[in-house]
Amino acid sequence: MKIVGVAACTAGIAHTYLAKEKLIKGAESLGHQIRVETQGTIGVEEELTADEIKSAELVIIAADVNINGKDRFSDKPVVKVPTHVVIKSPKNLIKNAEKQMRQNQ
Amino acid sequence: MNVGAELKKHLLTGISYMIPLIVAAGICIALGQIIGGPDVADNEGSIAYYINQIGGWGMSLVVPLFTAAIALSIADRPGLAPGLIIGFISNEIETGFIGGIVGGLLVGYFVLFLKKKLKMPQSMQGLMPVMIIPVLATVVCGLIMILLIGRPVAGLQNALLEFLSSMQGGSRFFVGGIMGAMASFDFGGPVNKTLSLFADGLLVEGVYGPQAVKFIGSMVPPFGIALSFLITRYKYTKMEKEALKAAFPMGICMITEGVIPIAARDLIRVVSSCSIGSAVGGGLAMVWNVGSPVPHGGMFVVPLMENPVFFVISLLIGSTVTGGMLSLWKPAVTAEDELENLEEEEEEEEDDIGEFDLTRGVQ
Repeated sequence: MKIVGVAACTAGIAHTYLAKEKLIKGAESLGHQIRVETQGTIGVEEELTADEIKSAELVIIAADVNINGKDRFSDKPVVKVPTHVVIKSPKNLIKNAEKQMRQNQ
Repeated sequence: MNVGAELKKHLLTGISYMIPLIVAAGICIALGQIIGGPDVADNEGSIAYYINQIGGWGMSLVVPLFTAAIALSIADRPGLAPGLIIGFISNEIETGFIGGIVGGLLVGYFVLFLKKKLKMPQSMQGLMPVMIIPVLATVVCGLIMILLIGRPVAGLQNALLEFLSSMQGGSRFFVGGIMGAMASFDFGGPVNKTLSLFADGLLVEGVYGPQAVKFIGSMVPPFGIALSFLITRYKYTKMEKEALKAAFPMGICMITEGVIPIAARDLIRVVSSCSIGSAVGGGLAMVWNVGSPVPHGGMFVVPLMENPVFFVISLLIGSTVTGGMLSLWKPAVTAEDELENLEEEEEEEEDDIGEFDLTRGVQ
């Protein structure tokens, strides 16, 4: 499955990047393809492209604050959680989201 | 999403916009005072005077920016302009930071309400964002702030400031202790952020003590655990040793989160030891009138603090308490623990990840 993600936290220096790493690690170990954009205090890094968003089957937003560019995901299946959830158990989150996606089908 | 989580998200967004501004302004004020001495504000024309002045002007923008960012988070771009004005008003009527929170929420939800409910004929749609929303929101929210919210909030704010400045000896230690324990309790989580909000708000009002306590609470956990590791290496697993290699330098930069993996294996002992050590350090810092005019920066900004030597002593004592407690209290690592850790790395715990829903688009 192709996944895209956005990570953002309050101070924008620590949790954001921890969440990104954990998401990538978790998704890859489950055999998914993933790209994660970070919105730290430094600004947007590794911005998701329109193509990536278009071909993604799942959007994971790990944020404690309001993120920019929400309208990019307007017709996508989105999972939105605080950063600590992703940092603690990225794999469970992804598995759980998959389960919900199957149920919705 | 429930109301509390929603409000928290907007407040945190406000704080995230505000942090770099307070850091820039706070460091300018502190630098000016270090170069120009305590009476820098009287020496007009010197470079130190100007640096100090830049910081002072910068600080006066903190509440307006914070208010505007909360409104922006709630109502998107139309919230920004009225939010700035209401934030400025909050400064003027002396409701400060608390007024900024109230004002930001007020503007944000009022603008959101206007966006949804106010219907204009097609030909006049263009007027909504450039004229109708900003003018209506500013007039209505401005008057509410001044006439209704101003007095009670200003009273609350002043009572708090008076309470903090009137404290002596024992009560200073007690309050510092509670703040220290809060700052360290969840290693950068919600309890820590609540204390941060409180300390940042007081910083804007020129009360620097709680800010220093926040520093101590954020740095005691990594330093204390590192100390305990040096005393009793056999009580830490290989994985914890690796985690500590990252957690200690992060601690110097005042990022506490690095210790989370170490706390996770032994939650009660680590959290209690860190909270008690931070409480002792925080209490001492308050008693010794340590203050930080800067909200972030770890060991690098210690020279800018008030009574920096006592800051370092408080930090050392706090870390020693934490380290000593841990070394005495933690059991030695057994072969099973090492194994367990490896497994955990492989297969993460079936933790409760809380409730979340798959939605179409972002709500």
